[in-house]
Amino acid sequence: MRKIGLIVACAAVAIGTAFAGEAVRAQTIRVAMNSDIRSTYPGVNRDSNTDWVMHHIVEGLVAFTGDGSVAPSLAESVDTPDGGKTWIFTLRAGITFHNGQPVTADDVLFSWNKYLDEATKWRCYKDFTEGNAAIESIDKKDGRTVIFMLTEPSALFLGLMARIDCAAGAIFHKDSFAADGNWSAPIGTGPYKLGEWRQGEFIELEKFAGYKPRSEPRDGYAGARVAEADKVRFVVIPDGAAAKAALLSGSIDVYPDISVNDVEELKARDDVKVDVAATMGLSGILLQTTDPLLANVKIRQALAHAIDTEGLVQALTLGNARPNNSPIPVVSAYHGTPQGALFGYDPELAHKLATEAGYKGESIKMLTTKRYQTMFDVAVLAQAMAKQAGINIEIEVLEWATMLDKYLAGDYQMMSFGYSARLDPSLSFDMFAGPKATQPRKVWDNPGAQKLIEESMRISDAGERRKIFDRLEEMFRADVPMLVLYNGPDVAAYSSKLVGYEAWMAGTPRLWGVSVAK
Amino acid sequence: MLRYLLGRLLTTIPTLLLVSFGVFVLIRLVPGDPIVVMLGDAADAETVRTLREAYGLDQPLFTQYWLWLLRALGGDLGRSITNGADVLPLILSRFEVSAIIVVIAVALAAFISVPLGMVAAWRQNSAGDAAVIAAATLLLSIPSFWLGLLLLLAFGLKLGWVPVIGFVHFAEDWGLALAYIVLPVTTLVLVEIGVLTRMARASTIDVLRLEYITHARAKGVSEFSVLARHALPNAFAPTWTLIGLVLGNLLGGIAVVETVFTLPGLGRLLVDAIFARDYPLIQGCLLFTAVVYVLVNLVVDLCYPLFDPRVAAE
Repeated sequence: MRKIGLIVACAAVAIGTAFAGEAVRAQTIRVAMNSDIRSTYPGVNRDSNTDWVMHHIVEGLVAFTGDGSVAPSLAESVDTPDGGKTWIFTLRAGITFHNGQPVTADDVLFSWNKYLDEATKWRCYKDFTEGNAAIESIDKKDGRTVIFMLTEPSALFLGLMARIDCAAGAIFHKDSFAADGNWSAPIGTGPYKLGEWRQGEFIELEKFAGYKPRSEPRDGYAGARVAEADKVRFVVIPDGAAAKAALLSGSIDVYPDISVNDVEELKARDDVKVDVAATMGLSGILLQTTDPLLANVKIRQALAHAIDTEGLVQALTLGNARPNNSPIPVVSAYHGTPQGALFGYDPELAHKLATEAGYKGESIKMLTTKRYQTMFDVAVLAQAMAKQAGINIEIEVLEWATMLDKYLAGDYQMMSFGYSARLDPSLSFDMFAGPKATQPRKVWDNPGAQKLIEESMRISDAGERRKIFDRLEEMFRADVPMLVLYNGPDVAAYSSKLVGYEAWMAGTPRLWGVSVAK
Repeated sequence: MLRYLLGRLLTTIPTLLLVSFGVFVLIRLVPGDPIVVMLGDAADAETVRTLREAYGLDQPLFTQYWLWLLRALGGDLGRSITNGADVLPLILSRFEVSAIIVVIAVALAAFISVPLGMVAAWRQNSAGDAAVIAAATLLLSIPSFWLGLLLLLAFGLKLGWVPVIGFVHFAEDWGLALAYIVLPVTTLVLVEIGVLTRMARASTIDVLRLEYITHARAKGVSEFSVLARHALPNAFAPTWTLIGLVLGNLLGGIAVVETVFTLPGLGRLLVDAIFARDYPLIQGCLLFTAVVYVLVNLVVDLCYPLFDPRVAAE
């Protein structure tokens, strides 16, 4: 018995010592991530977590700022002498890749030729080969100057180039590819370089000592991107409760997307800080205008008036987001008075409109998913509110992949859905507007609106674009093809030992300009 | 014995073929497409079509299955659609994590349950027996994720005795590795103790009623010897079968425990693969799980003669 006790005691000491040893580590910022990245090939095999990580390693010619505008990143300057058809990028002097090689115009050509090769399967391939921002040619003028020639003038070119989900058209060194031409590992220009990737566990980035930051202050993904910490480790923690426990126990330093329900609890603590930023993601309810019942615009208007947008958003986000019935996000420079108006909450009017539409109390099915809790919560609240107006909604909960299938096929009556951020209003409208005959996933099939959207993509003048967007807003509210409810907040919780961490409108973590206080 | 072994192994082949075909068909019957999941709300029909071609998903189903089967027979389970990794090495690396947790947990659970169940049976209908039954029933009823979270919050967060997330391999640092697996192992032990204790108790009760036990007692054999030498070998067999089933079942994946404790195990790999509709990975995981299950039960059956020599003779 004494021997057993001794063994147990030794084991306990070993465990305790080992655990204590774990507490003494290099300056590493540990960030929670709900699933592993898909690959290290930016913009090709990716998801949002992959984007989070890769934007610390690679950079493009331009990048989004905090207010959704586009600023030079690797480029020192961007000029368009002919109103958007020709784009001249001059690279910053003295910037190098992680392998020490200088960044030249040849590297820009190499990277973009890869992107524009269909075999690469770049996410934004179609945006730059068809439509408004189609590239006719890319040439180098000298060692630091590259000229992009488009097929027609485009107001969206820079915004598309800066797209976060397309890795901002990152410029990488040719040695990122193996000798057989397959992707190997990213050799980029970012403030951090790839360290160790233990699949399913974590991916660790190391500070790039040779990084040359811009002089402007940090602004979104643009401006200065100074790596203050030695390492950044993105830790895979699938369970939200476990991630919260990890933050509170000090096992991680940043939890980038906490539930709004935890905000007040965490704000009350001294060891944790919370930051909230409005994003350009969109939460809403899609209405299938080809459905026999919902084809009548009055029933759609009835639904719009049956839902108390302000009350719903307050209940769901606990005051951390603003109600918004416009496809243009509240933080967009183009969100003005027409966009700010809300559909009035009026159950009596809703009931009257529904009756005029010939609605006799039939059940309308709304699809939702529990994979994203907010989508489910929106459906439940909308159902309850509609009931007050005499509109019966039946909720069907589907698994996410199944619901995506139905979304793609347009196979639904109503669907509680969310769109990831589109940082230009043209793209906001374009994401759900289009001909249903050829693109069943599109929600708003209005040829007149489609023409206006295409025009907005060609015009650069902000005043003219605003007029177009205001007209589109009017048409959108007349047709009511969907009920936009709000733009989801980016709610981040982080250790009070961190200095410089901020949430921002893209909802992605930024670990440059962030240090661990001593 | 060798003939028996070979015979059992041969019978697994049609079983595994059936499993592979069943999994292949069933996962494709489930709505959802891996390419659409990959593209999300930006998916358009043309891009989906192009990518399906690139991944070979546009080929006839029988062709896809046949090509996959031919490669699988050569040990190549394909590449993950999600991240392009080779499926078999990925499964093996994740299985190592699950196996460590499960084997330790089941061994501990058995070590605790069998004597506990036997003592409860020995003192049947006593207060102690009632307490054991109540505790076993309670543990059986508790969901593992709830128990795991409770332990995590209590010992990881509140008391800070053990780490809250992560995993370290024993080869890297055995002390740290122990620290990381204490809570998941404890969760599994508590979950499995209930069912194993009840089985051990029930089978011991049956054995203690037999005449040879009465005979042993009449001869003056001590109660400890009655239980340990005479009752245990016969009472243990049904529990051993159950241990085999539990082990096989858990080795197939402890997804819930792995998710709560952030362990990179086989269960989480399979769940993530299902969400992503990563067909090669799903097929590989399930086929691997079936192989493990069959092998574990084979080992269990081969151990029976240790408890009952009559089985060896048969």
